[in-house]
This record gives sequence, C-alpha cells and structure tokens, in this order.
Amino acid sequence: MLQTLAALAPLPVGVLLLLASRVKLLGKNTPEVARRSALRKLVGDERVVGAYRAVGAGELVLGALLVLPPSSVVEAAVATAACAGLLGYLGYARLKAPDSSCGCLSEKVAPVRWRSFARAALMLVTAAVALGAPGYWLGAIADRPLATVGLLAGWFALASALSAELDGYWLVPLRRLRVRLSHPLGKFVPGIPLESTMDILYRSAEYRSAVGLIRSDVLEWWDEGTWRIVTFAARNGDEHGTAVFAVPLAGDGEIKAVLVPADEPVAA
Amino acid sequence: MGNETNSVQSATTAETSWFCCGGGWGPCGSAGGGACGNCQSGSYMCAWPNTSDACFNITRPDQCGDNLLRWGCGHTFYVRNLCGANEIAVRIADCGPHTNYWCGERSCCSGNCATDRLLDLTPAAYSAIGNLSSGIMPISVHS
Amino acid sequence: MNNPLDRRRFLTSAVLGSAGVVAGATALGSLAPEAVAAPMPKLDKNGIDPNFAEGRITAINGSMLMVTASDRSFHRIQLTKATSVWKLRPTTMDQAKVGDGLYARGVRMPDGVLAADALWLNIVNLEAHIVSMGTNVLHLDHNGNRLVGHVVPGTTAAVYNGTPAVRDLSMLQVGKHAQVIGAWRPDTNEVDIATVYAAAA
Repeated sequence: MLQTLAALAPLPVGVLLLLASRVKLLGKNTPEVARRSALRKLVGDERVVGAYRAVGAGELVLGALLVLPPSSVVEAAVATAACAGLLGYLGYARLKAPDSSCGCLSEKVAPVRWRSFARAALMLVTAAVALGAPGYWLGAIADRPLATVGLLAGWFALASALSAELDGYWLVPLRRLRVRLSHPLGKFVPGIPLESTMDILYRSAEYRSAVGLIRSDVLEWWDEGTWRIVTFAARNGDEHGTAVFAVPLAGDGEIKAVLVPADEPVAA
Repeated sequence: MGNETNSVQSATTAETSWFCCGGGWGPCGSAGGGACGNCQSGSYMCAWPNTSDACFNITRPDQCGDNLLRWGCGHTFYVRNLCGANEIAVRIADCGPHTNYWCGERSCCSGNCATDRLLDLTPAAYSAIGNLSSGIMPISVHS
Repeated sequence: MNNPLDRRRFLTSAVLGSAGVVAGATALGSLAPEAVAAPMPKLDKNGIDPNFAEGRITAINGSMLMVTASDRSFHRIQLTKATSVWKLRPTTMDQAKVGDGLYARGVRMPDGVLAADALWLNIVNLEAHIVSMGTNVLHLDHNGNRLVGHVVPGTTAAVYNGTPAVRDLSMLQVGKHAQVIGAWRPDTNEVDIATVYAAAA
C-alpha cells in the first residue's frame, strides 16, 4: 500500500502545480493579481509581474514533469524543495504583507491564512512521499483502480477544502443554503429605523438651513403620533438652544423645525 | 458620475465615508499610518482610490466608469457636505475607498446627487462636516 | 424642566404647535445655508484639529472624561446637557464607561479642556465581507481578521444600494461585502451593529 501511495503521489502535486501555473500564465488579470500578491513586497513593484510569470513557468514545467512519464526521484526532490519554498513564501507573506493575497491558485483575493499553510504542508508531505515512488503513477492506478481513485478524490477534496480561493464554489453556496433554511436573522422587528428618518432629515431644506447652527449629533429622538421628533444642540455665537425637527414617519410631507432657546445655562 | 470622465479638478460630486488610521482602539488598532505612512484619525486627511498602480488595482474606480486622475500623498482636496455649508481641506494620506464594491450607489441633497464612493475621510474630517453615526455622506469635492 | 418627559412634551409642542406657543422659539427653514455657516477650526501644521479628540476613557470624574489618545497624549473632555452621546444609538452621558473608545468634537477651551458638542462611544466603521451568519450574528472578515457582528433587534438597520434604511436584514448575503457602523465591545473582536450597508441580493 505504501508503494502505491508513493507511486500515486506525483500526480496530485503535479496537477495542482499545473492549475497554479494556469492562473499565472493565462489569467485575464495577471498583472493585477501579481501586484496584489506578497511577491510585490519580495521583489518590488517593477519586477513583480515578471517574477510572478516566472514562477508560473516553473510550476508549468515541474507540474508537467510530475504528471508525464517517466517517474523520477529528481522530479520528486525538486517538487519537495519547491513546496518547502512555498511554505517559506507563505510565512514571509504572513509576516511582511499580511493584507496581500496569496496569488497561488486563482485570481480571487485570498489572504494567507492557516489553510494556505495547511495546503502547502499537504503538498510538501505528498511530494516527499513521491521520493519513494517505485514507478509511474498510471501503473499504480491500473493495479488498484478503486483504491487509488478513492485516494486521489480524497486528496483533491482535502486540497479544495484548504483552498480559500475555491470557497466561492462550495463553502459560500453551502452557507447560503444554511441561511436560507434557518433564517438566522429572520426575527423581523417592525418599525422605522432612526437611520431612515435621519436620511430624510439630512436631505431636507429645513435641516440645511439650520446646519450652521447645529453643533451636535442627535441629542434625543422620540415618536409622537405620526411624527418622529429629533433634537440637536444648537449655538449661534454665545446663544445656546435646541434645534427641534419633526419628520413625518410616513417619509413624505412637510418637515417642521424650530429653534428653542436654552431655558437654563448649558451645564452638566 | 456614471460613465462620465471625472478628473476631480473642477468641482464634482461623490459619496464619502470615514476610516480610522494611525493606530487607535478596537478594530482600528491594526490600522497603521496608511499608504502614505502619516495618516492620523485626528487630522484632516483622506483616502483616494488612485494614489498608485497598486492602489488602483485594489479600488478599481474604472469599473464604475470613474476615470480618476492619479494624485499622490499630500495632495489637497476641498470637500463640502452637499447637505451642509462648510468646506474643509483634506490631504491624501491613504489608498481607498473600495470604489468598485459600491458602483452606482447614489445619494442626493437638495437636487444635487452624488454617485460612487470616491473619497474616504478621517473621523476628524468627516465629523467636521457630518456625523460619524451616518456611514455615508454626499459631498462636492475639488482640487 | 428637569423631568425628561416634561421637556419632551415642551419640545414637541414647540415644533408641532402653532407659532408662538413657546416663547422665544423661532421657525427654522427660511435661512440660506450659507447665511449660518459654522466657523472653521484652525488646524495645526500637521492638519490636527484641536476641536477633535480620539482615544480611550481612562477615568471619569463627574461629567469630565479623562482620555488617553492613541498617540499617548491626554485629553480632558467636558460633557454637558447639550452634548450628544452616541453608543450604538443616541443615548445619555451616563453610558460612558472607563475603557470605552471614543471620538469627540467640540470647542477647545483656553485651559485645554474639550467642551464636547458630540461624543461617539466605541463607534466603528468597518468594510468587511460577510463570512457566515448565525442567530442574530454576522461573522465578518475585516482586513483578514474575524469579527463577530451582533444584530440588535429593534436597533440594527440595513441600507441596501443606498435606499432608505429598513429593519429587514433578510437581503444580506453570505460572501458579499458590507459596511458596518457599529459599537465595539471593548477589548473583544465583537461589535453591535447599528447600520449595515450592503448591495441587495
């Protein structure tokens, strides 16, 4: 079984490298993706696109060598070193450019988090296992088709689960489905939010005419019949007062506004 | 603004929100000095979507049809709340906002409408012409 | 007029009653905005506005807040009855607690005290992605950091595509971006949500 695993190992690593190279060499927005990646911090703004493409070319060659016959321990050794390098790059990205995107497997923005490390570690272990490959992976599949296909499916499922870039294909729809079934925010509370009233008030001629006098955010608000009353502190020179607005709760209609002078000194 | 070319040299309208920078409390704790390194929440500063290629690649105002000029750190804009009276001067200190997240969003005041988020202000600047509790404000802006 | 309900009745009658019901009250709405433009603050050479302060409350002495700013400078902020206080919603000055973060705007007095006109406690404005939802909870990704956004029934409002705010949050979608105005729960990665701005599904 161990020999089967070792023989099979170059295939998933190679396929993942080929997928990664596709983004870097054939992507529609390669320069943009490159500049968003931590590679920009590593090699600088001017060289980042070239370096990103060079990495893609390296991934293409190595991926092709791993997937195509014959099987070679040198290929596996290079792949192991490359995966270790990837882990190092991720560590650098996390430390030096935590807001940048991985730029690894897709054009989607995917900051470097624990899953990126776990995926790189999975690749590193798999590439290391490939060092003991007794022969080409196709032979292992022919010998034990069910077991090997099952293993490969499990490996790719795990790699997908560890790829934040692929969340949009399975995790987000799954979470949306859960929200649709459970309605976690569904407890609807009737009423008109203050924000809605403020939106109407801020746009009104009444508020605009008083805006130079108003010094505070909302002091108080309450509902009175079909009106919502909102008050602000107002000041004109040394004169203090309260600007009082009455906004129709229905949203349309005349807004009433008065300035009421302070009936006592404004003290705490 | 839609598909019109907009350089923000003559007065134009836009939406603005606010952002914290220069350290601080809560989720602002991780916010540093911004793309220009000198951003402070207590200063009259702003974020502009086209301060560099790297910035533009993140904010992508072109996806909303906004053709914005490249302005670097320290450039001064004059900003007025469309629903207000005062105009303030703010200097570019960071890259932002994410214009392409909100393409087509529009707010109006007294018949003047502002479309798309083209500027973010520090809390000091935003609160000088509006209230922090309102997350969005229509403004006029010129260089 | 110390009873808040009496004061509300008085102000209600002032704004809804006929002219002259309240002595001294003047109708607003007739002045051009330019006629009453507020005086502009004088900024220092770094663009710092002396009439603005940010920081965390380290002590409260009556209606005076002692605040340490993020640059380690120290502010004294005086609250009055005319100071608006926001903490998730418009509230009263007794809601200010030691440890709260704040932004304050007012008038800097000659003795260095900031006489506050407006105080925003723990207010945050976050650009985030909605990662998932739980019962009255939004799990948010803010610059790669996870935040828990609590929906507060009766307070939390949603603004979809710039249309007027509503209480219906059912159009929020997992995987989409959102802007959240909320109140941070000090020393946690949790916020109570006041308003969430989102593109409608």
